[in-house]
Amino acid sequence: MYQLVARKDTGLGVATALSVTFHVAAFAFLVWWQQLMPNLGPVQTTYYVDVVNLPVANPRAGSPTDTGNEAKPAPPAPAPQAMTTPAVPSKTAPGKKAVTGSTTESTAFQERMAKLEGKVDAQRQSAAFEELRKRVAARGKVGMPKGGGTESGSDYTAYLHSRLKDSFKETISYQTKAPFVMVRITIDGDGRIIRTRIEKSTGDKAFELSVVRAITLAEQSIVPPPSRTVYEGAFVFKPQGVTQR
Amino acid sequence: MGLEMFFTSTGLVVKGVLLLLIMFSVVSWAIIMFKFFQIQKAFSESGRFMDFFWKTKRFDSIASQVDRFASSPLTALFNEGYSELKQLMEAEGAKPDHGGLSTDLGGVANVTRALRRATNLEVNRLEKYTTFLATTGSTSPFIGLFGTVWGIMVAFEGIGKTGSASLAVVAPGIAEALIATAVGLVAAIPAVMAYNHFQHKIRVLVKEMDSFSTEFLNIVQRNIAGK
Repeated sequence: MYQLVARKDTGLGVATALSVTFHVAAFAFLVWWQQLMPNLGPVQTTYYVDVVNLPVANPRAGSPTDTGNEAKPAPPAPAPQAMTTPAVPSKTAPGKKAVTGSTTESTAFQERMAKLEGKVDAQRQSAAFEELRKRVAARGKVGMPKGGGTESGSDYTAYLHSRLKDSFKETISYQTKAPFVMVRITIDGDGRIIRTRIEKSTGDKAFELSVVRAITLAEQSIVPPPSRTVYEGAFVFKPQGVTQR
Repeated sequence: MGLEMFFTSTGLVVKGVLLLLIMFSVVSWAIIMFKFFQIQKAFSESGRFMDFFWKTKRFDSIASQVDRFASSPLTALFNEGYSELKQLMEAEGAKPDHGGLSTDLGGVANVTRALRRATNLEVNRLEKYTTFLATTGSTSPFIGLFGTVWGIMVAFEGIGKTGSASLAVVAPGIAEALIATAVGLVAAIPAVMAYNHFQHKIRVLVKEMDSFSTEFLNIVQRNIAGK
């Protein structure tokens, strides 16, 4: 008896093998891509301005424990303005001509006033600068408490702390409930991290790895310590952030 | 976070969801590749078979050469129609050559039924496995979404335990969870696209098979009328 049967198709096994290969290749490509380019986004340097320790002319100004807290002398009084008499309207030219003459005189008056005001402002500014110069010359070096008066701003530990905090946000990862790592970092005069030692840890390997990666990441952007001396400091890393030890 | 770290740090449920989605993706891509070549071959060989069919005058000559176009669904129709015709003629004691197609209208109805059966079988063959593509396309995003919801629940639980809600703590957990939805979409999108494409191609092939059946029956009836 004749029996109608569906034809068999071959090739599904080959297609499955190809599909598996394709997926493995796609996964390998993704891993390779991540290792090749860990940071795809533009890296923008963050600048920190320590408004407390800025190198100002007089750091103690405003403090009740030091001199220099006297009230600022009043700025020199502006020069008396020259009085001008209003123009007498002409008798013979009423209408348009008279109006034009009055406008011209008013403009001239405003110009004179502007010149006088500019002169007074310039005098006031030069007097203020002169006073500042005198104070600086009288007190010698100024700046942050431990600085030589030539540093550009903030405390190096605070600066390093901010760099580590930023990079730690990029790398943070942990497996245990409340991980903790204390790291001692040594930086040479050229701003290179020459030693990183984990002094205390709760043992979370993922967290330790993320801390090490954060330090490596921070190393790319840190500047040398002040006066090119070797710096050593300890920092505590927690999921909540980085603190100075 | 690297991919290798990701797979080690996610929870069991999210891992299971990801594995399921990857399996869906692997199987659906296998079906996509298999169906693509099958349908492409069916189209190209159908075209060649139709040329050969119209050039050759005798059914027995076509039947002897039909294996050259094995991937075409039209050859299956021809084989079934011709086999039915031969059986009818043998039943009448006639020889199955070009000049001896002596059968009545009841025999034509038999051939029609044989062609219809063959068409149905060929449609089933062509549509086989495509339902898996439809299933992948419709369910994968939901499976991924389930993984994401679960991952976010676990992440929030972790946040509650650590007591910190900073972005650095919240973001990795949510990013991990969202990967499940992304993988679900990666599995679903090609499956839906391929399913729609194959459905269109199969509809075209079904129309070709209908046209061929009509032509075949016309030839059979012309021969009967010519007797």
